[in-house]
Amino acid sequence: MSIIMKKSVPIALVFITAVIFLLEYFVLPTELKSTVTMLQNWGIILTAFTLGFGAVNMIMFHGKQVSRRAKGQWPYSLWLLIILVLFTLVGVIMGATSTQYSWLYSSSYFALSATVYSSLGFYMTSGIYRALRAKNAESALLLIVGVIVLARNAPALAAQFPILVNMDSWLSSVPTTSAQRGIMIGAALGAIALGLRTMIGRETGFLGQTTEGEKGG
Amino acid sequence: MTAKPKTIWDRLEDIPREILYGLLLVCIIVPMLFPIGFPVPISVEVKRWYDTIEALPAGSVVMVDFGYSGGGEPELAPFAVATYAQLFRKADIKVVTMSTSNEGPLLWEKAMTELNIARFGKEYGKDYIHIGYIAGVETAMAAVGKSISATTTTDYKGTPLSKYSIMQGVDSAEDFALLIVYTTGGDQSEGWVRQWYTSYKTPYLSCVLAMMVPTMLPYQKAGQIVSVVSGAQAGQIEILVKAPGRGVKSADVITVTHLLCIALVVVGNIAYFGKKFSGGKS
Amino acid sequence: MLVAGRIFALGMLIAICVLIIVCMELAKKNLPTFRKIAGLDALPEMIGRAAEMGKPVHYTTGLGELNTNVASQLVAGLSVLSYVSELCAKLGVRVIYTVYQSQVMPIATELMKEAYTRAGKADEFNADDQVRYMSGEQFAYASAVQGIAERERPAANIMIGPFYAESMLFAETFYRIGSIQLAGTARGYQIPFFAVVCDYLLIAEEIYAAGAYVSKDAVLTGSIRGQDVGKFIALILILVGVILTLAGSNALIDVMKL
Repeated sequence: MSIIMKKSVPIALVFITAVIFLLEYFVLPTELKSTVTMLQNWGIILTAFTLGFGAVNMIMFHGKQVSRRAKGQWPYSLWLLIILVLFTLVGVIMGATSTQYSWLYSSSYFALSATVYSSLGFYMTSGIYRALRAKNAESALLLIVGVIVLARNAPALAAQFPILVNMDSWLSSVPTTSAQRGIMIGAALGAIALGLRTMIGRETGFLGQTTEGEKGG
Repeated sequence: MTAKPKTIWDRLEDIPREILYGLLLVCIIVPMLFPIGFPVPISVEVKRWYDTIEALPAGSVVMVDFGYSGGGEPELAPFAVATYAQLFRKADIKVVTMSTSNEGPLLWEKAMTELNIARFGKEYGKDYIHIGYIAGVETAMAAVGKSISATTTTDYKGTPLSKYSIMQGVDSAEDFALLIVYTTGGDQSEGWVRQWYTSYKTPYLSCVLAMMVPTMLPYQKAGQIVSVVSGAQAGQIEILVKAPGRGVKSADVITVTHLLCIALVVVGNIAYFGKKFSGGKS
Repeated sequence: MLVAGRIFALGMLIAICVLIIVCMELAKKNLPTFRKIAGLDALPEMIGRAAEMGKPVHYTTGLGELNTNVASQLVAGLSVLSYVSELCAKLGVRVIYTVYQSQVMPIATELMKEAYTRAGKADEFNADDQVRYMSGEQFAYASAVQGIAERERPAANIMIGPFYAESMLFAETFYRIGSIQLAGTARGYQIPFFAVVCDYLLIAEEIYAAGAYVSKDAVLTGSIRGQDVGKFIALILILVGVILTLAGSNALIDVMKL
């Protein structure tokens, strides 16, 4: 495939699409509304396709593990493929909103998902116990703030000691919000920079290539 | 050379995680089985949430994004159920729900079952509807904001939207009086600010995981979100709506587990300083 | 023609874009330097530790997806992956990269292969073993990575990219098995969890700088310089705004509402 098809055409498409969206937002909202709506719907369709693409990839990857009898892996890969087929068959035949599919989802994936998520509580407890120690000035500050927030978020303590609510409110409104705003500004600039580099073809990671090696200095 | 025997400070400074996890388990299970009934004060944010919904005029249409995954269900579902109860108690309020999470429609059905929607006398397709999972996160939000009918033509079961009276005259963000979002994803909660509030100035209520609240606060302070609450505050909204459920039950658990964490932090620090002042090294 | 309420934003966007382009071009002639970033300077030490212990290095870019607004963080993580792979290749350490989004696999494979080639060890790279697609579901991916931690016991764990709730799961699990950890994310929700557990931390924009820091690439470095100038502009606007507001003037707010 020539360099034009591999690189120039995708970059041109990205540039034109980005300019259309920017023009619609800043300059011509009425004139470009239908074009942008169409492109957004294409985006939704493409995203939905990547779900299917992900499933195909999983089948290929785990199918290879099973066929190779990959040590320590292949029984789990086989089980995954069985569950994948089961969910697909039930969803297609009975419907994704059927009682059977709901039951399958609730009793397996939902239960596992909630369990793994809940295990975070245990990890956080051991993390808090280990980390909130007044070893120096910064960690003492972290300790004090951490204890205030922990206490404020315990409903009974907040009811008993209303001053915790005021302290937590100040901590949330002033230092936390300020820091978060700073992080947001930085992240937004990073996103603008990445978007710009992608539009002008200086960022080719999405094409499967590393950024052009332009060494300086 | 024999190892130095462990002192009390060594043991307290390095409590095995099996003991920590065991204590946490006890603090979760006991209050659940034997509710203590600790008071649940109502916070300013939850009161604002409640008041915003109460102030909706008759005939308002509300958009709800049921965008959390299975992992966030235990925390967010109680708040969502209580809010739906409040919405459905109000006369002539229509609720259009969508999901930016692919598990959303299934979890919405679970929530509606828990809500026992039949007792409100509301009819699907006339008073409330679910228009399905729409892929693309912000792309989906932007598309739905411009035109629901151009984005999706069916509800989550595949029935054409044209069959439902609720969707008559409701097509874009401008037709909605309020946006309510339940999500475990920061991209979703922030995305709605960019796609709906910034473009259409739709009032926005955001319910997220407790750890996400500090990051969402700047939007509330800037007036872009009316109220940011966490699912852990579900007990408060249940009390306001007078529909006690899982949220009130878990308030006791939250109190006891937080007290345990504070106690462990105190023990760890006492051990650290005890060891330091008795000449040991940490 | 210009939409009311968005004129100032458009002006700022154009100004920042021009700034970034100018900085990228200037960087080709004169590469800007960075302040020391402890986490990145510690990478050779972390990999050296893995070499001494004869254990692998684990690398993850979290739940990075190319088609979302966290793609910039994923790209930053991949830049550092290239550097880490080259270091590991030179020291004979196996690096395992666990993948969340399948589309990232070919990109990562290519990056790591190139890195091994640069180190002169192209034949030691084994894509099947070292680039592992786990799952596209958050907690399935998290469980799989925890499994790798318990089974393979990496000496070092490097996490740079967009992380969600699984951040604490990773950090605690790798802490428990004794790995030295470097973490970096621009998702504000997860920074506190990494701060509490990991040995080294990159906060927010430091991950964007990381790619440029390790690769010394003029495009990336110039882009970071442009972002820094943008931050100075934001700082000046904040200061001017505070002064004007304290003086009772809404002039800047009115300009920003244009």
